[in-house]
Amino acid sequence: MVGLSLAEKKYVEGGIAQGLRSDGRGLHDFRTFSVELAIIPQANGSARVRLGATDVIASVKAELGRPLSGRPNQGRVEINIECSPTAAPQFEGRGGEELSLELSRALHRSLLGGGSGAGAAIDLSALSVIEGKLCWNLFIDGLVLSSDGNLLDVLAIAIKAALSNTGIPKVEVTSAAAAEQEANFEISDNPDDFSQFDTSRVPVIITLTKVGRTYIIDATEEEESQMSSAVSIAVNSLGHVCGITKRGGAGLDTSVLLDMISVSKEVSKSLLATVDAEIMAAESRNGNFFILVLVSSHYFVHVASPLFKSQVQAWLG
Amino acid sequence: MAQSRVSSYSLESQRVSLARGSSASLISPHGTREDGRTLHECRAAFLQTGAVNAAAGSAYAEFGQTKVIVSVFGPRESKKAQAYSDIGRLNCNVSFATFAGSVRGRAGQGVEEKEYSQMLYKALEGAVTLHTFPKTTVDVFALVLQSGGGDLPVVITCASLALADAGIVMYDLVSAVSLSSFDTKLLLDATLDEENSQDGSLMLACMTSRNEITQLSLSGEWPQGKLSEGLKLCLDACNKLAGLMRIQLRISV
Repeated sequence: MVGLSLAEKKYVEGGIAQGLRSDGRGLHDFRTFSVELAIIPQANGSARVRLGATDVIASVKAELGRPLSGRPNQGRVEINIECSPTAAPQFEGRGGEELSLELSRALHRSLLGGGSGAGAAIDLSALSVIEGKLCWNLFIDGLVLSSDGNLLDVLAIAIKAALSNTGIPKVEVTSAAAAEQEANFEISDNPDDFSQFDTSRVPVIITLTKVGRTYIIDATEEEESQMSSAVSIAVNSLGHVCGITKRGGAGLDTSVLLDMISVSKEVSKSLLATVDAEIMAAESRNGNFFILVLVSSHYFVHVASPLFKSQVQAWLG
Repeated sequence: MAQSRVSSYSLESQRVSLARGSSASLISPHGTREDGRTLHECRAAFLQTGAVNAAAGSAYAEFGQTKVIVSVFGPRESKKAQAYSDIGRLNCNVSFATFAGSVRGRAGQGVEEKEYSQMLYKALEGAVTLHTFPKTTVDVFALVLQSGGGDLPVVITCASLALADAGIVMYDLVSAVSLSSFDTKLLLDATLDEENSQDGSLMLACMTSRNEITQLSLSGEWPQGKLSEGLKLCLDACNKLAGLMRIQLRISV
């Protein structure tokens, strides 16, 4: 938490009341952000997103496992967020636990849909390999490296980027076993042989932070310290609301909430476009980066995006 | 009336049917649900204040198969270890009895209990006039005796009743209702079976006479029309529930 003097608090609050913010943004403007992909070689997909001084990493790991008995044709997805004490001293020990839990649950709600798996951001049935026996379980881990407000929105962007970077190896079922038998399968070790998710339905989250009588988007930590309440709204590319989480204690007038929902839908259009463009740019950058380093050392093969690994191995002959 | 008791009181263990896409089997062709309710009808509720002797205030609530008890202690002096605070503290804790679900639960706080505790705190924080009792703590302990769907809204409703029973000053009572979405249909106040196969859910807690929302959570995909209909249904139900809570408080005084 930032320790603000009374004068600073008044400055932040008074500014927002007049439509002014200390970094010159409008009330409903996002800060610019950058996306890096495939930064963790041992994960199936990963991304790092920096928005102002907020810095997060998301990684996606896929493991084969058994589906839940009630959902034989769906894979499982787990989302876990960790706030590292390197970001702020109060995250040390159990201090970050409450925030981590709040963030994980909010993301869970927004990305994984209702109880039946409908409305989930990624098609859970695409994770199924053999119905009732074998499926991919996705473990999505988010790590907060540095915090300057708006963690939830940035984490959602990072997860979207990491998922679009994720490659799942093809699994070949060698014997279609009878109901009781163990299934035999082979995981393809050809790195060219992987499938990717359709991430077009993964929503972005927009947090509207209420300071005084107005609300702002993409609040910095200074601004967040003056909030009375905040509402995080997940919106997907169809303009459908996929999740709402209320944070902060103060009550909220019904009409304000409806207003917030329509604003978030409006903002989501441009944000989704920017996120997609940034991910595309990062993908192409990764390719170039890879070719450059390859000249100097084979070692970097591991650092490169799995998307390009196959190409390079072909070149290496 | 507040004391419309649920008729079936058997010890029949809960069935957990995880049938997928089963909105058809959960809703009959005549538009009634498994327990005979219409889509937009709440479960029969039983509310009672003063359920625990030792507490400053307490309440018991039964919504269909969901049974919850909440005790409120305090305001009492904050623990010495805590820093000085010129507004009161609200300490909320939700736990599930080990026999609350169909699978025996473990002792100790699970992720769900922690999340519910946090959400209960945020639902009540905006309603309680914390500045009227500086340096002190009010403890709100909720115990889910039987989990039959819509546990969190029942806990929130019951907790605000218990706070009122304890004489803690609030701006208004907080009532909470949940709603499940199935394909094109919206089911108010869903049971556990219904929740297990829902496509999306909406939970709303509000102070009805101030028209102020204190807690809100939504999952699943909601197009605009459905979302506004859902919010309206929840607000209506919260209004009615708040009426029941007021009746119960008037009876108990």
